[in-house]
Amino acid sequence: MTPERLNLEKQVLQKEMPMVQCVFKDMSTSEPYVLMPVKTNIGKVYTIRIDLKGFPNQLPHAFVTKMLQTKSGRSMNDASAAMHTLPTEHGYTRICHYGSSSWTPMVSLFKVYIKCALWLNMYELHLKTGKDMDYYLSHQS
Amino acid sequence: MSKEELEFFFNSSDFSIVGKAYEWEGENVVHIHTDKIKHSFGSCNDVLFLKEDNDANEGLEYLYVVYVSKQNDEITAKVHSKSFEVEVNYIPKKQELYSRNKGILEVNVLEEKRVMIVGLGSFGSQIAIELAKAGVGEFSLFDFDRVELHNLARHTATVKDLGRLKTDVIEESIKGKNPYACVKKYAININEHLDLMEDEVAKADIVICATDNNESRFNLSSTLVHQKKVGLFGRAVTRAEGGDVFRYRPGGPCYCCLIGNQWFGLSEGEVSNVASARRNGQIAAYVSERDADAFVQVGLSADIEPICNMMVKLALMELSRGVESGISCLENELIYDYYMWANRRERRHANWAAMPGAGSKPTIMRWYGAHIPKNDNCSLCSDREVLLDEGGTIRSKYGDMINLDMSGLSVEE
Ligand SMILES: [Zn+2]
Repeated sequence: MTPERLNLEKQVLQKEMPMVQCVFKDMSTSEPYVLMPVKTNIGKVYTIRIDLKGFPNQLPHAFVTKMLQTKSGRSMNDASAAMHTLPTEHGYTRICHYGSSSWTPMVSLFKVYIKCALWLNMYELHLKTGKDMDYYLSHQS
Repeated sequence: MSKEELEFFFNSSDFSIVGKAYEWEGENVVHIHTDKIKHSFGSCNDVLFLKEDNDANEGLEYLYVVYVSKQNDEITAKVHSKSFEVEVNYIPKKQELYSRNKGILEVNVLEEKRVMIVGLGSFGSQIAIELAKAGVGEFSLFDFDRVELHNLARHTATVKDLGRLKTDVIEESIKGKNPYACVKKYAININEHLDLMEDEVAKADIVICATDNNESRFNLSSTLVHQKKVGLFGRAVTRAEGGDVFRYRPGGPCYCCLIGNQWFGLSEGEVSNVASARRNGQIAAYVSERDADAFVQVGLSADIEPICNMMVKLALMELSRGVESGISCLENELIYDYYMWANRRERRHANWAAMPGAGSKPTIMRWYGAHIPKNDNCSLCSDREVLLDEGGTIRSKYGDMINLDMSGLSVEE
């Protein structure tokens, strides 16, 4: 990511969520990433990790920084259309937040973050009702 | 053989050397060289090159003997064969090779030009060879794939090339058309070697993007913008029912500006094989192996040919721009950023008019050009304020379902 783009992303995050601490890590390495906190509607706090390798020309991989389980106790470590997940990396649940053919370099990290926050809220609805997350989230771009 | 080979031998201190004779059995055709060459011939035998004033009894055990002599300042060869009478023809000199293109193309100009081609699939392979035929002198080729069975129907590679690197196969095809062409090969994924990609873009006169993934298109696009280079992006859409070509010229709209355009946005790129579609995410990871096959919908080679041809014409025109030539007039015709082609009246072209009596209505097998507005806030090419997609539509759709007030939160590291 260019320094200009990084500044732009930080500006958007600062404007939209001035009180939230987002931590950019390993930015001078080939595996940079950002950590961002999410509080869901029921008050639970998670951390979202977005890998920035190749960003913004490449669709970034996004994770919840733990391995989540479905209501039935299955580990969410693999690709699932019903649960909007992709195969795990770093031992974390990977969120399917974008279709690769609809990704463009115009998409901000903040938008990816909102989609992940939305995903986490739907995940909690799933835990409550047992319904697949697909029920709440259409496969939108 | 070439005269250069003969001269090299004749002017050497050797009395004789052993070269190679490549022969198609039963066809009475033999290609003779002083050195071993990369070949796709039938059989290969040793051949003795002799200076004519040497002992005529030498070389009796060879199937072919080449007697090299100098008369009136010119070095020539006579070939003796045990199997048939040989009439000698020489590989043309560089300046003779494309003399037939003279008058239409400025051959001397093209010989100096360097074309970078990223992706040597059904598009890149044909474009490379066409440009070599036109007399382009330098190429840099990028593709990390090997030739597989499913490629053959649309690729220039043949059964004999199965398993080989596409870069090697296409180098051979280029050199088959122009033995003097200079070819640099990179069997790598440009998305993982951005520095190298930037160096090669800097050296190129035009960049042809013929890959199957958006990541490489965006990476090339941003590099073209920064380095102020011309680039062409081409693709076929599902089942090659049609396709399009985008041309980037410095200062104009970039590939990222094109996304969101009504014509472009309507269609998804063609999925031509499962492995690469999985790699670039066209087929999602949760789609099973059996279902994935249904995504693969390739069109006919004849359907992608017109799109390749347009890319070749645009490339030749751009490479010859500013030089008076037979194709200069195209500069007044090919003025658009975006070109669209339909092969059949189906899916997105279903409502198009039939070719007979279409009049001014859009119909198949004609090119349509469009000017693409430059996005003043584009993140790749704008020199003004960049406005990113901040998720406004998502927030208006789902905003009431989530609480975005994360005040005071910090991350657990
Ligand atoms: Zn742009």
